[in-house]
Amino acid sequence: MILSRLLQSLAVLLVMSFVVYGLMGLMPGDPIDLMIAADPHLTPEDAERLKALYGLDRPWTERYLRWLAQVAQGEFGYSRLYAKPVWEAMLPALGNTALLMAAALAVALAVALPLGILASLRPGSVFDHAVNLLAFASVSLPTFWVGLMLIVLFAVQLGWLPAGGMETVAAGGGGLGDRLAHLALPVATLALAGIGQYVRQMRAAMIGEAHHDYVRTARAKGCGPARVVLNHQLRNALLPVTTIVALEIGGLFSGALITETVFAWPGMGRLIYESVMGNDFNLALTGLLLATAMTLLGSILADLAYRWLDPRVSLK
Amino acid sequence: MTNALRLLCLAAAVTLGLAAPARAAKDELVIGLTQFPSTFHPSIDSMLAKTYILSMARRPVTAYDPSWTLVCMLCETLPTFENGLAKREKTADGKQGVALTYTLKAGTKWADGRPVTTADVLFTWEVGRHPRSGLSNSELYRRILKVEARDARTFTLHLDRLTFDYNAVNDLHILPAHVEKPRFEAGDAAEYRNRTAFDQDTTNPGLYNGPYRITQVVQGSHVVLEPNAHWAGDKPAFKRIVVKTVENTAALEANLLAGGVDLIAGELGLPLEQAIAFENRADPRFTVTYKPSLVYEHLDVNHSSPILADKRVRQALMHGIDREALSRQLFAGRQQVADANVPPLDWVHTDDLAKYRFDPATAARLLDEAGWKLAGGVRRDAKGQPLTIELATTAGNRSRELVAQVLQAQWRAIGVDVRLKSEPPRIFFGETVTKRKFPHLAMFAWYSAPESVPRSTLHSTMIPAESNGWAGQNYGGYARPGMDKLIDAIEVETDRARRKALWAELQKLYADDLPALPLYFRADAFILPKPLKGVTPTGHQDPSTLWVEGWRWE
Amino acid sequence: MRPATIAAAVLLSALAVLALAAPWIAPAPDALDLMARMAPPSAEHPLGTDELGRDILARLLHGGRVSLAVAGATALLAAVIGTTVGLWAGYHGGRADAVLMRLTDGVMALPLLPLLIVLAAIDPAKLGLEPQAANSEAFAILRIVAIIALVGWTTVARLVRAQTLSVKARDYVRAAVAVGATPGRIMLRHILPNVASPIVVATTLSVGNIILIESALSFLGLGIRPPLASWGNMLTGAMTAVHSAPQLALWPGLAIFVTVLAFNLLGDGLQEALEPRK
Repeated sequence: MILSRLLQSLAVLLVMSFVVYGLMGLMPGDPIDLMIAADPHLTPEDAERLKALYGLDRPWTERYLRWLAQVAQGEFGYSRLYAKPVWEAMLPALGNTALLMAAALAVALAVALPLGILASLRPGSVFDHAVNLLAFASVSLPTFWVGLMLIVLFAVQLGWLPAGGMETVAAGGGGLGDRLAHLALPVATLALAGIGQYVRQMRAAMIGEAHHDYVRTARAKGCGPARVVLNHQLRNALLPVTTIVALEIGGLFSGALITETVFAWPGMGRLIYESVMGNDFNLALTGLLLATAMTLLGSILADLAYRWLDPRVSLK
Repeated sequence: MTNALRLLCLAAAVTLGLAAPARAAKDELVIGLTQFPSTFHPSIDSMLAKTYILSMARRPVTAYDPSWTLVCMLCETLPTFENGLAKREKTADGKQGVALTYTLKAGTKWADGRPVTTADVLFTWEVGRHPRSGLSNSELYRRILKVEARDARTFTLHLDRLTFDYNAVNDLHILPAHVEKPRFEAGDAAEYRNRTAFDQDTTNPGLYNGPYRITQVVQGSHVVLEPNAHWAGDKPAFKRIVVKTVENTAALEANLLAGGVDLIAGELGLPLEQAIAFENRADPRFTVTYKPSLVYEHLDVNHSSPILADKRVRQALMHGIDREALSRQLFAGRQQVADANVPPLDWVHTDDLAKYRFDPATAARLLDEAGWKLAGGVRRDAKGQPLTIELATTAGNRSRELVAQVLQAQWRAIGVDVRLKSEPPRIFFGETVTKRKFPHLAMFAWYSAPESVPRSTLHSTMIPAESNGWAGQNYGGYARPGMDKLIDAIEVETDRARRKALWAELQKLYADDLPALPLYFRADAFILPKPLKGVTPTGHQDPSTLWVEGWRWE
Repeated sequence: MRPATIAAAVLLSALAVLALAAPWIAPAPDALDLMARMAPPSAEHPLGTDELGRDILARLLHGGRVSLAVAGATALLAAVIGTTVGLWAGYHGGRADAVLMRLTDGVMALPLLPLLIVLAAIDPAKLGLEPQAANSEAFAILRIVAIIALVGWTTVARLVRAQTLSVKARDYVRAAVAVGATPGRIMLRHILPNVASPIVVATTLSVGNIILIESALSFLGLGIRPPLASWGNMLTGAMTAVHSAPQLALWPGLAIFVTVLAFNLLGDGLQEALEPRK
């Protein structure tokens, strides 16, 4: 069962790699064209020599097959932009992104789950309506606007927090406090949208459980302390939320381009963007496919977790 | 924002306050830049951010100084015919060549203590002319027929042609043989770019011969430079220079205001209108310096378009726009209006040429003469075809987008219907411009060296086409024997007075014939903290950091 | 209907009317006046002027026209693709279902923004489009619509497939099969009406999201491009002046926020009204 899911995912990845390679091939110009535009001294001979050197004079289907053959042997090649092995260029960005996204996810869940539970206890109350409205409001704002506004407020006007980067680059920076301070604003930006999403899901899941017979019966009989009922209800309501969180795993590897750009955070979002724009096929494909693979893996894990936590779901 | 988050912010802010270092003696400088270099090899991929950073850590043999004169950086004396260090000679196939003798400055050392020698120069030439070494610009190396090492510091270059700028070897970026030679020879030369220490071992002191050396690279974020202990020139003032990348200019400005960066480099900093708005707020901590540069903003003309092939239409378009008002209102008069392609700071610039003042009446007359009669709001030709032209430019460049919209409005007023099209730079430069896919006009800028001969942009042999692999930068397809002759003549004219006369002729021809429509010369805005002294903007491709050892905090 | 839903519906109708009437209310959104840049609100310019002296209100109305048209068209196109895929997969099952659903998984798993960037940078000429057609304003809008819809159909596809699976088993569908109705007819006449409500809800909810995606693409220089105004590119343009003229970002920011919020509330309300079981 799991094996077949994994195999299917592998097939999906293969198709996706072909599609992405083809799409990148449809992008106009190649790296050498860009180089010519940037450097007026580059001569026709230079251009031809460089195109041959990078294999850009071959059709993209041929280049794709060559790339695939190499990847099959575990050889991901060099990043053209950074002149380094792909993984070496990618690892620092992966670490930075994982830190940022995990922190944002943690903050979002820590805020959203209690709020969602509280709202679900009295559906239709003023509190419930207010939470619902705020949840919708927080997912209705453009990320770059939120990020820049937070910077203007907390970094420029109040001067409490740094405006960007991962640590103070001056001597004496890089301590734990310093790193936390640099995390605060980008995490807040990302968490804001996450909070809106998870509050609504948590609330919906709790209310959905409340309609189940076991809760009604328990309530009607007045048996047991409310706490016990709530615990039960909560346990079941967390199931769908866990599934949704598991699907976010891919985000830990693909990053958040807009937030990273605004906060000068050197993560995967930026790296993938640069490599796509710079026609760095090796780097772009590896980055995109890694994120895709992780999302697919996340959905498999979500299913597994669901089955493990909920015995009612049969193993088909 | 929720309470929990606010608390978190507060806690973090307190920690930061405690962690902030005391700033009594300022011996550290953080420079904000909008780009991060992808490679650090001096001759692979040309990228402004790389040139800016490397200029603190490495010096070319020659460069243009802030007054736009050629000077020695690593050499003792510039070779000239007068001082005998330059000699005319015939090449093997009987052409006019030249032999140039340079002596490396005494005491020039790599930061690991090894001297810079002629062996390094020989190795550099070997890499440079290797057809598979992956260097992006190998023009100079191909011109060098032979390198003769006279002693450890003196070498003679034999060049295959004699041009007026014969002694400018700005592209000769000496590579350290003791570090790079084993790497170059370790395998296929085509893979050298993936083996070079500049990218595999960037903090190796042996790579640097400038006042600073790179000591840390955090990819995508920042680069740290510290003084080179073996630097023989003036002692640099700062113990640490950090170049931090913030790509979004609004965020970059916020970093400056919040103290995350000390200065914003004009070479790769805020767009002009943003810098002017910054200056208008009169922040007492900073001064804003504008340097008129040779970056030439213009509209490339597609000369194969029947509409624009008519000179009268090109001239009418020039008369139809109020460039003075545009520069005054949008850029506070900081960007000089261009009459031709040579900037006023260049010594060969001439003012004696046709100028296009804002004159809608003349524009209308010229268009009438060209057969475009006003009918309703838009002019039409005898067949009733409307006078519609398309103006393409780069998306994301705020200044250009604004200017394009102003031009569109002003041309509409003289009956020319203008369609705007903006594309990401990737497409614009990768395809639209380079393959002449813009039907009429394309707005962009040329960035070059002082007294740069426009061979690649105006000579008829430099028109990109399928047949030559789309090389050359005469994108509009401009071909005039008169222009070709002037370019050919200027290149080999070593007499300054005669050359200046030729340049004047070229500019006159340019202003009259309008191979492209000149707009203005861009100005770079440097935002510097008040106590920082000694930063001298250059306005050309050799950045201010080539003189970083003169920077002081007072 | 909840009051919030009604308020959202009223607001969106008003916005739609304003956007449709924009050419009559504010005929010249591109008229610029370099002498009156970034002017404060006045009788002539109720919301002031932008960095080229253009009337912000006029541009806001015309920008809304573009933003709403893009978002609406994209949501519809995505719904059509998603419904087709979902119906087909759910009704036919077997291999078709497996292939289509793995395709859906794959598109869902790809990171959204990088994929949009690749799509936005594709050269229409390489796809064999005429340069004249490729450069028109309508194409610029269609291009954004197409690329967002190409990655945005997956939610509807999954919903429709799940619904189709359950509807398929019902008696009246079996009866239709028994009397020899063609699969196309069954899908259109018997299944589609029964899966309509999740489609309506998901599509309404997606409209707001698409407005946000368009603004993100504008921020990266890949969205609707000037001089054609959209809320996304107005906001992006205002961001560079955020330290000097923060008021410029106020109106497009507010327009995006209110509209997206209204679509979300409307979708939520519809969900409650159409699918009370959830």
